[in-house]
Amino acid sequence: MIGNKSEMDKIIEGTFSEYGYPEDFLAEYDQLECLSGRSGRETFLCKKKGSEELVVAKCFSGAFYDNAVEEPVVREYDVPGIPHFIKSYRNDSYVCVIREYIPGKPLSEVVKERDLTQDEILEICGKLGDILIRLHSQEPQIVHRDIKPENVILKEDGSVFLIDLDIARTVKPEGDSDTYFFGTKGYAPPEQYGFSQTDERADIYSFGVLLRFLITGSIRENKNIKIYRPIEKIITRCTAFSPEKRYPNMKAVKRDLSAINPRSIMLRKIGIGAAVLCVCAAISFGSIRLYQYLTYSPFGEGSVPGYVSDDEMVRQAVAYMEDTYGTDLFQDPDDFATVGFLRTILVELYGFDPDYVWGMNDDMPRESEEFFLPWGFEDSRFLDRDIAVYAAVKLHDPAIVADWSELRDDNGYYPGVRVAEAFAKKNGIMEGVNKPRDITKGETALILYNAELTFSGKDQG
Amino acid sequence: MEKKREVDTDELLRLLFMESSLDNFMTRDNSDILFPSFPDYINSLSDKRGEPPAKIISRANLDKSYGHQIFRGIRHPSRDTVLQLAFGFELDFATTQTLLKIARHTLLHPRVKRDMVIIFCLQHHYSIVETQIALDEYDLPLLGGKGNDRQ
Repeated sequence: MIGNKSEMDKIIEGTFSEYGYPEDFLAEYDQLECLSGRSGRETFLCKKKGSEELVVAKCFSGAFYDNAVEEPVVREYDVPGIPHFIKSYRNDSYVCVIREYIPGKPLSEVVKERDLTQDEILEICGKLGDILIRLHSQEPQIVHRDIKPENVILKEDGSVFLIDLDIARTVKPEGDSDTYFFGTKGYAPPEQYGFSQTDERADIYSFGVLLRFLITGSIRENKNIKIYRPIEKIITRCTAFSPEKRYPNMKAVKRDLSAINPRSIMLRKIGIGAAVLCVCAAISFGSIRLYQYLTYSPFGEGSVPGYVSDDEMVRQAVAYMEDTYGTDLFQDPDDFATVGFLRTILVELYGFDPDYVWGMNDDMPRESEEFFLPWGFEDSRFLDRDIAVYAAVKLHDPAIVADWSELRDDNGYYPGVRVAEAFAKKNGIMEGVNKPRDITKGETALILYNAELTFSGKDQG
Repeated sequence: MEKKREVDTDELLRLLFMESSLDNFMTRDNSDILFPSFPDYINSLSDKRGEPPAKIISRANLDKSYGHQIFRGIRHPSRDTVLQLAFGFELDFATTQTLLKIARHTLLHPRVKRDMVIIFCLQHHYSIVETQIALDEYDLPLLGGKGNDRQ
């Protein structure tokens, strides 16, 4: 069946033996993917032969030996928050370091999927700070020197891991300088571009840039973005141009970070209090509406005018969605929308992960971070206004719908939905969509459009 | 919300080959480029071939209902599944890389022995079965085998 076997052997075995990876490494592990292929220091995802154990192998060619400090770091100290060291292989041309594979998402991916709340950011950075304190207190001291969102892995259980230690300190002094261009532009401190010795304050600089990136979405300073003062102070001091003006060590950074927490918690409590008041106000204010809602019948006299949606606004919203996203999903605006339609929008227009959007559980009615619409809704179910509103609010700010714990009258009926609805009423997200059940595609567009206006802070119209 | 620039396949390939190395392409700032969604892309591929998804799915040796879920965008395929689809479409190496890129998986890399066998088989128009035999002869994990996926 395979006529080219000898040609294939020549190409594959021939080329492969030229690379010169240690034989015993290849004998024990199958390479599955090349995660990073910079010549001379490749990173592979591997599987142990005869098992399903995934590992990450970093292979350094001879020129990088002296920088491959990862092995002693991990083996001798086994620092928590750094993937476990498993084994290393060596021959004349390569050293391959095997570490456990950490399943999870790098922060760079997490922030593409959703906005982290300030509390989440502080928690992540606190954990990262602990890892850096442990690294920096090793003898001899270890400096990571490439802290960036891509190298911080967030596991599903919320734990934080720092990966990619291969450019950690101990540079060969006689190495020609361009071989050792280390770090990542934007995150590397000024002194790392030059020749002066870098120490833990290099990591403090990158840590500050990372914190700024998580809070503002940009690695550069932007005067137009207001940052909560105490955090801004920490960022400024971490990223001072001169190392002397930075924090002296990571412990000092951590101390200031921890000091923020109680105040932010207090502020949050006040915020929740305000939200509860809004919900109560909305409920009492809307009791007539509630009555109409409960007694709604399409056949009842006089009920129709109250529930006809504003055609002009719907048309405008559909045009906006089509323009902005170049989509034709709304081309039949008078069709009934389904839950499946809503999910398609979330994936195609807003770029959510299909697994996140389509996943579901039947443990109603709790909200979840695991699934976008956690309840076991079938795709064919007609869409209710409150579910669309929940989605519209959650896609812009998941924190709003997640924080329903203080609802005084929690009766277990989709509490996040009720919070979203209260928020939507207050901010005009429901404006123009007057019927509660079986809304159309056009009305769905209007809700999404209103939500975009609300969250972008622009005026309606 | 700012509108993103949609790049079609040809432009993507041009970008890919204009870059001096794969690394440059992978690490350049792609934030202004909106790739077509994976289901859109494979549906357009099967339109171009004039074959229904069912035919592609059977040639890729994928489970029927799983395959259709991928074409409908309900499930996101693993890297191995994307590679199986490449054989289902009888793609060449370059288009397979594009397919992997759009599916947000790592590209085929000549430093990975298994990838090299797969590249060879794609270039020589092996069927999926022939490819599996070749992988087996080199004692490498078969496509779609257990435990080949991250997460």
